Amino acid sequence: MRTLSLVSRRLAFVGALLLLWEALTGGLGLPAILDPIIVARPSAALQEIARYSASGLLVKDVTVTLQEATIGLLLGIGGGVVFGLLLGYLRPLAETVEPVLVAFNSLPRIALAPVLIIAFGLGIASKIFLSLFTVFFVIFFNTYLGIRSVDPELVKALRVMGGDRWDLARYVVLPSVFAWIFAALRTSVSFALSGAVVGEFVGSTSGLGYRMVISAGLLDTNRTYAILLLLMAIAVVLVEIAKRVEDRLLRWRPTAILAS
Amino acid sequence: MRISIEGVGIQFRKGVKVLDDVSLEVATGDFVALLGPSGCGKSTLLNAVAGLLDPAECAMLGRIALDGGARNGTRLGYVFQRDTLLPWRTLAENIHVGMEIHAVPVAHREQRTRELIALVGLDGFEHYYPHQVSGGMRQRVQLVRTLAYEPEAILMDEPFGALDAQNRMLLQAELLRIWERRRTTILFVTHDLAEAITLAQRVVVLSKRPGRVKRIYDIPLPSPRDPFEMRASPAFAELETRIWKDLRDEFRAVPA
Repeated sequence: MRTLSLVSRRLAFVGALLLLWEALTGGLGLPAILDPIIVARPSAALQEIARYSASGLLVKDVTVTLQEATIGLLLGIGGGVVFGLLLGYLRPLAETVEPVLVAFNSLPRIALAPVLIIAFGLGIASKIFLSLFTVFFVIFFNTYLGIRSVDPELVKALRVMGGDRWDLARYVVLPSVFAWIFAALRTSVSFALSGAVVGEFVGSTSGLGYRMVISAGLLDTNRTYAILLLLMAIAVVLVEIAKRVEDRLLRWRPTAILAS
Repeated sequence: MRISIEGVGIQFRKGVKVLDDVSLEVATGDFVALLGPSGCGKSTLLNAVAGLLDPAECAMLGRIALDGGARNGTRLGYVFQRDTLLPWRTLAENIHVGMEIHAVPVAHREQRTRELIALVGLDGFEHYYPHQVSGGMRQRVQLVRTLAYEPEAILMDEPFGALDAQNRMLLQAELLRIWERRRTTILFVTHDLAEAITLAQRVVVLSKRPGRVKRIYDIPLPSPRDPFEMRASPAFAELETRIWKDLRDEFRAVPA
């Protein structure tokens, strides 16, 4: 295992999975164990991606979905940070609103989709809101807990140095809160994408989720799987970007040593 | 800076009385060690001087004056036993913090940081993060971080307690060197008798809880002192035996 690079090992594993899947669905000249009408053959799904792309719909759908997810993500992070800081600093307010927040947080946030579509229509606004809500709570709770778990010894150290409230916020509270927020970045990215796609499932006129529901309804298994593969690829890329950002910004942290 | 502790008694709201009628005068430029058994309230006294006691948790009797007056705006340094460097700042940036708070001009800041890094032999480690260096190195940075903004007095709470014997002695030597050069007032809490004699001009022995001043010893050992050599000297041994007799009874009592 030592001799091969991590990237080649990972690619080999993905390749093996695709080959197995291809074989099970009757590819490679083998008898089909899974009916390709029910489970698409990966080669067919990949060909479908090419066709989908050639029709010009792919770019349009990807753009819509990414737009919803990105705007939702950014607004969710912004809102979560602002509210988290506000409630983290204003204890009495936090204590007052806490039960309601916990209630909202325990709700499967995806369940808001129908409500949001009634309120904001079939366009991208309802998906942005769904994305926003899913991200908001993750970031909000991390910010809030981040403030609560600031190391009191560091606060003490800054106070004896002569630091006032602002110095404390600047040197201790915000940096430790940001560590919590960045740690939630990866989760938030995949949440934002799920928010957008589920919103599209429930009611929309474009986007990857919309196209997928339509294809599934027409029993177009190949296209349904093609979109599924695309969503996976997009998620992998986005999460990898989030991971890079996180590693860069949290490079001061001792790296956890994973079993190798 | 002169630190005057007058009749200080401290009781926690939950009922435990940690200090009782402690009076102590620390002159400008003095190096005083507070020595006492575990739980005698020596750290609490240091926190009281630093203004770190939470009035919701404990009540204080008596008076603590810095240069005869209140604490307002006086520059104090405090070196903790536990590492309180900011983990998200490099060693050099950690040394900057106090100077940033006290608005020391940037150019000045950089130069002073270079000098302090060199003073404790950390050249080349300026841009390391705290978790990347050893405990001894972190403690050195804590020490010079405090020196950086030129406090008028430095309070130290068992600062070398978590270090191995070798690092402890190295840091004692560095602290002595710095103190002999700058003569900043130092109030140093420890439960290690040898450390107290090695460093201080005066050693204040506190009784077991509730802590009272049991006796104050002058340490007339010549300067400059070398922690690696002085333990072998007869004068050191003689002081150690004398103070230990006082301390022994307090140590024997089991801390509650």
